[in-house]
Amino acid sequence: MTTHVTLEDALSNVDLLEELPLPDQQPCIEPPPSSIMYQANFDTNFEDRNAFVTGIARYIEQATVHSSMNEMLEEGHEYAVMLYTWRSCSRAIPQVKCNEQPNRVEIYEKTVEVLEPEVTKLMKFMYFQRKAIERFCSEVKRLCHAERRKDFVSEAYLLTLGKFINMFAVLDELKNMKCSVKNDHSAYKRAAQFLRKMADPQSIQESQNLSMFLANHNRITQCLHQQLEVIPGYEELLADIVNICVDYYENKMYLTPSEKHMLLKVMGFGLYLMDGNVSNIYKLDAKKRINLSKIDKFFKQLQVVPLFGDMQIELARYIKTSAHYEENKSKWTCTQSSISPQYNICEQMVQIRDDHIRFISELARYSNSEVVTGSGLDSQKSDEEYRELFDLALRGLQLLSKWSAHVMEVYSWKLVHPTDKFCNKDCPGTAEEYERATRYNYTSEEKFAFVEVIAMIKGLQVLMGRMESVFNQAIRNTIYAALQDFAQVTLREPLRQAVRKKKNVLISVLQAIRKTICDWEGGREPPNDPCLRGEKDPKGGFDIKVPRRAVGPSSTQACQWSPRALFHPTGGTQGRRGCRSLLYMVRTMLESLIADKSGSKKTLRSSLDGPIVLAIEDFHKQSFFFTHLLNISEALQQCCDLSQLWFREFFLELTMGRRIQFPIEMSMPWILTDHILETKEPSMMEYVLYPLDLYNDSAYYALTKFKKQFLYDEIEAEVNLCFDQFVYKLADQIFAYYKAMAGSVLLDKRFRAECKNYGVIIPYPPSNRYETLLKQRHVQLLGRSIDLNRLITQRISAAMYKSLDQAISRFESEDLTSIVELEWLLEINRLTHRLLCKHMTLDNFDAMFREANHNVSAPYGRITLHVFWELNFDFLPNYCYNGSTNRFVRTAIPFTQEPQRDKPANVQPYYLYGSKPLNIAYSHIYSSYRNFVGPPHFKTICRLLGYQGIAVVMEELLKIVKSLLQGTILQYVKTLIEVMPKICRLPRHEYGSPGILEFFHHQLKDIIEYAELKTDVFQSLREVGNAILFCLLIEQALSQEEVCDLLHAAPFQNILPRVYIKEGERLEVRMKRLEAKYAPLHLVPLIERLGTPQQIAIAREGDLLTKERLCCGLSMFEVILTRIRSYLQDPIWRGPPPTNGVMHVDECVEFHRLWSAMQFVYCIPVGTNEFTAEQCFGDGLNWAGCSIIVLLGQQRRFDLFDFCYHLLKVQRQDGKDEIIKNVPLKKMADRIRKYQILNNEIFAILNKYMKSVETDSSTVEHVRCFQPPIHQSLATTC
Amino acid sequence: MAGQEDLVQQEIHQDWTNWKLIELITSSIKKIVDFLNSFDMSCSRFMTLNEKLKALEWRIEYIKAQVTKGETLT
Repeated sequence: MTTHVTLEDALSNVDLLEELPLPDQQPCIEPPPSSIMYQANFDTNFEDRNAFVTGIARYIEQATVHSSMNEMLEEGHEYAVMLYTWRSCSRAIPQVKCNEQPNRVEIYEKTVEVLEPEVTKLMKFMYFQRKAIERFCSEVKRLCHAERRKDFVSEAYLLTLGKFINMFAVLDELKNMKCSVKNDHSAYKRAAQFLRKMADPQSIQESQNLSMFLANHNRITQCLHQQLEVIPGYEELLADIVNICVDYYENKMYLTPSEKHMLLKVMGFGLYLMDGNVSNIYKLDAKKRINLSKIDKFFKQLQVVPLFGDMQIELARYIKTSAHYEENKSKWTCTQSSISPQYNICEQMVQIRDDHIRFISELARYSNSEVVTGSGLDSQKSDEEYRELFDLALRGLQLLSKWSAHVMEVYSWKLVHPTDKFCNKDCPGTAEEYERATRYNYTSEEKFAFVEVIAMIKGLQVLMGRMESVFNQAIRNTIYAALQDFAQVTLREPLRQAVRKKKNVLISVLQAIRKTICDWEGGREPPNDPCLRGEKDPKGGFDIKVPRRAVGPSSTQACQWSPRALFHPTGGTQGRRGCRSLLYMVRTMLESLIADKSGSKKTLRSSLDGPIVLAIEDFHKQSFFFTHLLNISEALQQCCDLSQLWFREFFLELTMGRRIQFPIEMSMPWILTDHILETKEPSMMEYVLYPLDLYNDSAYYALTKFKKQFLYDEIEAEVNLCFDQFVYKLADQIFAYYKAMAGSVLLDKRFRAECKNYGVIIPYPPSNRYETLLKQRHVQLLGRSIDLNRLITQRISAAMYKSLDQAISRFESEDLTSIVELEWLLEINRLTHRLLCKHMTLDNFDAMFREANHNVSAPYGRITLHVFWELNFDFLPNYCYNGSTNRFVRTAIPFTQEPQRDKPANVQPYYLYGSKPLNIAYSHIYSSYRNFVGPPHFKTICRLLGYQGIAVVMEELLKIVKSLLQGTILQYVKTLIEVMPKICRLPRHEYGSPGILEFFHHQLKDIIEYAELKTDVFQSLREVGNAILFCLLIEQALSQEEVCDLLHAAPFQNILPRVYIKEGERLEVRMKRLEAKYAPLHLVPLIERLGTPQQIAIAREGDLLTKERLCCGLSMFEVILTRIRSYLQDPIWRGPPPTNGVMHVDECVEFHRLWSAMQFVYCIPVGTNEFTAEQCFGDGLNWAGCSIIVLLGQQRRFDLFDFCYHLLKVQRQDGKDEIIKNVPLKKMADRIRKYQILNNEIFAILNKYMKSVETDSSTVEHVRCFQPPIHQSLATTC
Repeated sequence: MAGQEDLVQQEIHQDWTNWKLIELITSSIKKIVDFLNSFDMSCSRFMTLNEKLKALEWRIEYIKAQVTKGETLT
């Protein structure tokens, strides 16, 4: 179903589109992102010439010639592409090795089958060049005809001939270069001859011709030269062509870089063609027909220009190979080798930057005003404003073209002048040709300069592209106005004069111009215009209203508008085809007016007034760019095209098949991209997408100009590879950057300052601009839209996991002390995560941590397990506690081997603290936590393990304690109790301390001599003691953490500290005021007001939990002790019930007696080279003994009946010092004193916890009632 | 002769008018293309949406893993 829509409706619908806001939040740091490209093409190649009924017939005929020549140029370009992109087929075809080979017929048949279409193309190429030479020569012949010479030849015509010359030069060079073409043809010929394919003599002859054509170097040039030389006066025409090129080049009458380079090539090749047997350029120079010194200057300034793709031509070569060069060497300076300053891009950067900043500021002024005044299209502007925009557009295009040309020229020069190991020490001697031309041929500054210029080009292209519609309208308005003003107003005066003087030829030309152009107000020429009659204007002037339209001149007056292709069609390296027909007609007719030559004797120029000639010349000159500007989008694209930086068919050909394609390290786009990534230069980081865009240019060129799928495929493959590399490198360095940032932020400030005092500077990571890159959500690459942020996020997320995993693995490979390091690493990772989260969506850090810790579905993670493992295998058996320092240190004599741990993997510094200097700094700080386990470690364990982890660890520790107490230790206790004297009284004071010592020493001889006591027994007890201590210290650390938590929570729970009150103030009033002040922080009422019932319930419960946490005074340690007590059920600990019914006094049956014996043993001072018990076992041993005693309720009896204490008491009184049985008494007493203090401390701490146990378990004190003692004398009576 | 001249002038005038229309249509197509391109660009907001959904999905997976305690593995 079709509905009818009027044009007005359609147009207003289009206008409505602009109203729709389509915000795009990402900063623009890439070339114009466009999924659709629209270029209207109105180039009709003079199809419309017959519509110019008002034009001069001769020029319409010329247009016909032009049109066919353009077609030929296009065909020539196709052959150039064919040659350039030729890849050897024969190399891939299996060779016939000997004549006896059975499948050789098959091979030959297949060879012919494969190569035939290719050879047909070559044949066609040969015919084409023949035809083109003929055509060119016939044109030259026609124009060089003696009569024709007198008349002028239009510039457009000369330029087209110039393009032909350029085409010949390109085709010949390409043919010379491509060996694979010749090889393919000879392979075909061999096979074809074998199969007797070519039977008739004619085809044999043709094949022979093709062989010769391909084999002979410079065949096209030679043919051309030969055929030209027989044309009399050909050098005159060539001189015209060269002169027009010189003129255009000098006056910058070109827009795209390829136009500029074409002019130079035509000059060079033209001179070469002119210099021969018949003519001599030096004579022409002498006659001032041409100006060699000018050309010399151009060639000296720009020595190398791109010929085709990565093929370059040294312009001086044309001169050197010309016929009369040797005699005239001295006339040339360009042939000497000297580097033109043009190729020092770094120095040129100052100018380029200046131009850039100037232009974009100006552009910004206009684009802002367009934005402010709304849609620029709807607002009417004055002619001047349009003219300004027109100039701006032209200048922009010229700047872009200049920069692109610059890049290409430097690149070309570098390709022709490869480096070597002597010029660049990084270049290995084995580096191949292309590598020397690209990879090693640029200094870091040059690469940055390239990146910067490319960024400027692509950046400005975006800005210009945004203004395109505005420019388009301004351009059309300006051109229309210029044309109409010129035809309707400027040409009146010459017309009046011509009519008055009755110069009919002049009148007809002027009228033809006017009729071709004029769009009269009212549809027709004002009939009463006095100028038509050769009369003067009336006083006050003759009023002509020149209309205004936003219209480009039509291609056809009869409106044969045929959009040949809406999307950009073919074009040629020879430059864009022809201008629009009208401009061509008008310009040609104008040229005929001002030309120095004409068919008749007198030139039309001479019959025009000076000012008129100037006006016409001026218009002629400025209208040159009209055609370019009318196609601004195409011109913009061509001025910014840097596709040739990738193509390398020439260098590939040079490798003779050794290379199918070059690796990315030699590819310019990647070299530039990688350079930014490797140097991490902050000022360049935002440009990193621009060099990648070169692939877009190249791919576009491969598809639309070369039209070669395989080239596109190769580009695509390279892009796939490069982009992976790019994302990989970028993500890595972004992660490293933020990690180093986090590491630097968290590094101790005073440590940093101290280091600085010692001259060691720990650098902060230099600020870099990754934010902009991270905002990119649609990077356009080969038609794909890539979410860069997502790709980087994925990789960074993986890096984050790896980093967390590394932190934990590192902990797993070290002892318990490294828990401090683990926490730091985790904190740094946490901060890294926080910093990164500003730019990307990462998983929740805690979730990530739990995953890395394998703690998502398991109740306890790797950290908890390792803590326990370390406790069990290293901490309990190998550490000695010191009550004074509150620390554990590693024992002097280990009784067990230190466990083997896996070595941590070697990883990049950014997986640890962020960078090498930071790793060193942190490891220095960490070294002070390395050799002990103390409060910082316990606090860290509390934070990392949490309640759940601690509970698990404690549970497991209790199991160890249980197995020790009910296993090893119990066995030893049983054995030792056996060895103890059955009865051991405390001797009376009268015996004196030496006597008492000797007594005990004797009594306890068996214990003292029991070999395993000082090893296994003490070791087991130390393990129990360390376990108990660990639990105690963990609880202390946990309490501190909890208090900290509660203090943090206090303001949100309306718990306010008491404030200082001045005299006369009332506390309640102050508190009320404070409460009011902090009311908005009070969480529960706030949620009660705003939350859902569920939230309210949660808030209340949370509040209650936090408040109650410490209130009821739950103690973990108390529970631990109670549990341990339950392990001491064996009767051996307590002995049989006392016979006296009260308690054992002298009997050695209870544990405390055994402990007294042990204490006696370890109180005996050791020799000089022996280790004391505290050195070997630390206070853990005493903790174990005392704990068991307290838990068994034997503390009082121990205090009373202990052997050592008794000895000490006596010794303190008599103050004797002797050596009894090798034991120095005084020393022993001193040791006993120390242990007494320690024991009392331990008892005090334990009792503090145990008291609550006892009061908890029963409120009533256990009181045993004894009968009062009855004297013996009375006993019998009772 | 004069009549023919007038006709030619009329035709030329008409030609310019036609061209104005052509330009109008061309520039309108250009506007549509610009619109489509900027629409395409603005579609990147779906990427943000997609990312949020992915994060939520991941969260669900995670919570599931936490809740099931490895039961699914049996």
